[in-house]
Amino acid sequence: MILNRKNKFYIFIFLLPACVLVGLFVYVFLSWSIKVSFTDWNTIGKMGKWCGLDNYKQIFFNDPVFIRAIKQTLILTVLFILITLPLGILTAVLLDFKVRAKRLFRTLYLIPLSFSFVASAIMWSWMYMPNQGVINSVLRTLSLDKLAQPWLTSTDQALFAIVLVYVWQFSGFATLVYYSGISSVPIEILDAARVDGVTVFQKYQRIVLPLQKPATITVLLLLLMYSLRVFDFVWLLTDGGPAYSTEVLANYMYRVTFNYNRFGIGAAISTFMFLLSVLIIIIPVIASYIKKYKGGKK
Amino acid sequence: MKKKLKIGSFLIYIPLLILVIIYIFPIFALLNTSFKTTAEIKYGPMKLPIKPTLVAYSAAIKRLLTPLLNSAKMSLLATAISSFIGSITGYIFSKFKFKGSNLLFLLIIIGFYIAPQSILIPLVLFMGKIGLYNSTASLVLTHTAYGVPITTMLFKNYYDSVPDELIDSAVVDGCDIPRIYQSIFLPLSLPGFAVVGIFQFTNIWNEFLFGLTLTQGIHSQPITVAVSNLKGTTVAAWNQICAGAVISTLPVVIIYIVLMDLIVKGLLMGSVKG
Repeated sequence: MILNRKNKFYIFIFLLPACVLVGLFVYVFLSWSIKVSFTDWNTIGKMGKWCGLDNYKQIFFNDPVFIRAIKQTLILTVLFILITLPLGILTAVLLDFKVRAKRLFRTLYLIPLSFSFVASAIMWSWMYMPNQGVINSVLRTLSLDKLAQPWLTSTDQALFAIVLVYVWQFSGFATLVYYSGISSVPIEILDAARVDGVTVFQKYQRIVLPLQKPATITVLLLLLMYSLRVFDFVWLLTDGGPAYSTEVLANYMYRVTFNYNRFGIGAAISTFMFLLSVLIIIIPVIASYIKKYKGGKK
Repeated sequence: MKKKLKIGSFLIYIPLLILVIIYIFPIFALLNTSFKTTAEIKYGPMKLPIKPTLVAYSAAIKRLLTPLLNSAKMSLLATAISSFIGSITGYIFSKFKFKGSNLLFLLIIIGFYIAPQSILIPLVLFMGKIGLYNSTASLVLTHTAYGVPITTMLFKNYYDSVPDELIDSAVVDGCDIPRIYQSIFLPLSLPGFAVVGIFQFTNIWNEFLFGLTLTQGIHSQPITVAVSNLKGTTVAAWNQICAGAVISTLPVVIIYIVLMDLIVKGLLMGSVKG
């Protein structure tokens, strides 16, 4: 389409607000944060001087908590995904059968997603409390006292307990995406399979589930994104404790920056988080878009 | 054969119902405690309240009224502005391709995938510099800016389904870009605005980190931060904390239940196409 000068000007005007806002809040701030990470601004009031890679050297070689936070972020991410994906697929397959009140089930499964992370965190800290908490009370009522656990107060269990909160919050989302993926499998394929006498198990194993790659990528990207950035659960449930056993990057970055006022170190951690998200989220997103554009041109 | 089928199809409900119990049980426990008096809590969290009472709610709402209003103001304004900007931006990216427009679009939507922690320090410094630190306005601005990538993506996908021929003929007729937007796209956009608006409103209402970082004190805090402070203080008992959590999240839960179809559309659009 050939556009005259006036319309070119309008394009500029229409794109201006988005470009200014995103340019400033994303790109300028990112560069600014990276700049702070190269300064020694690690006490309040002191305007940082350039100190090269000192902050990075500090966190990578002198800060065992930071290393732990990386490890625990990865553990949390892997566990979260390993539980949520299969749970989502399984539930979606079950809902795909002839089930009454599908919409009701779907609504009930999505309610956890509607909860704010803060409300979830409050609810789960009430669930997990060792003495008056809900889970242990239920176990005691059922005379299963032996199964009562210290949950968030135990260095062995706390991280896993937090993973379960993530699973509770997000598995309905995984179910929704898989369910919509499964219901959009073309009916012709399913009819053909039925004519060929495929069993129910084979139908899912050989036909329906292999077609769910796009749904898996979608869910995976979102779960990865949230497991890296969600700070609310850890901040409100354990604040990284006990004994740093639940410290994750998002929480540690916040604590170092705003509780200890070590802005240079905090910026270095946030830059590390940015690089991590480029690696595991942004590169795949860009790749999928490039593929789409190329596919569209053909 | 028929009987076997019936038993089989009945069995499907067992795992489905177990999941419902797992998802809903914590919410039941939360509600249960929120309807008790402080004295009643010690009888155990699973005992039903002897006589359900709203005392915890009235105590909680006294502390939460201003933050509730802050959240309403913040979420409505940021939703409206970011949806509108997303609409005009998505319109251009969908219908008026120019050299580099794909790249620019990609640069904008990448903003959605950047963790807020990566820009948090400059954000606080910037709000301090322009004098908005510790104000609800700073949250409106921040949520608008971080909303634009996703609203742009959603609206571009939405407008992609409008045939290009409509534009071509309008351009031949001498319509310019604002005119085409106003007379063709804006009227077509109402369902789009509903989906995007609800998606944005629920996300912004529930957001915590920006609120925690940019505000101090009850006059500017959003509800999420105010409720989390209830938990930190020893003043509030658990029935009040639970009531506060219910109050804080109830608007979004109601939106989810009542407008489930729009929510589902937003969730699928926002993710599948991304």
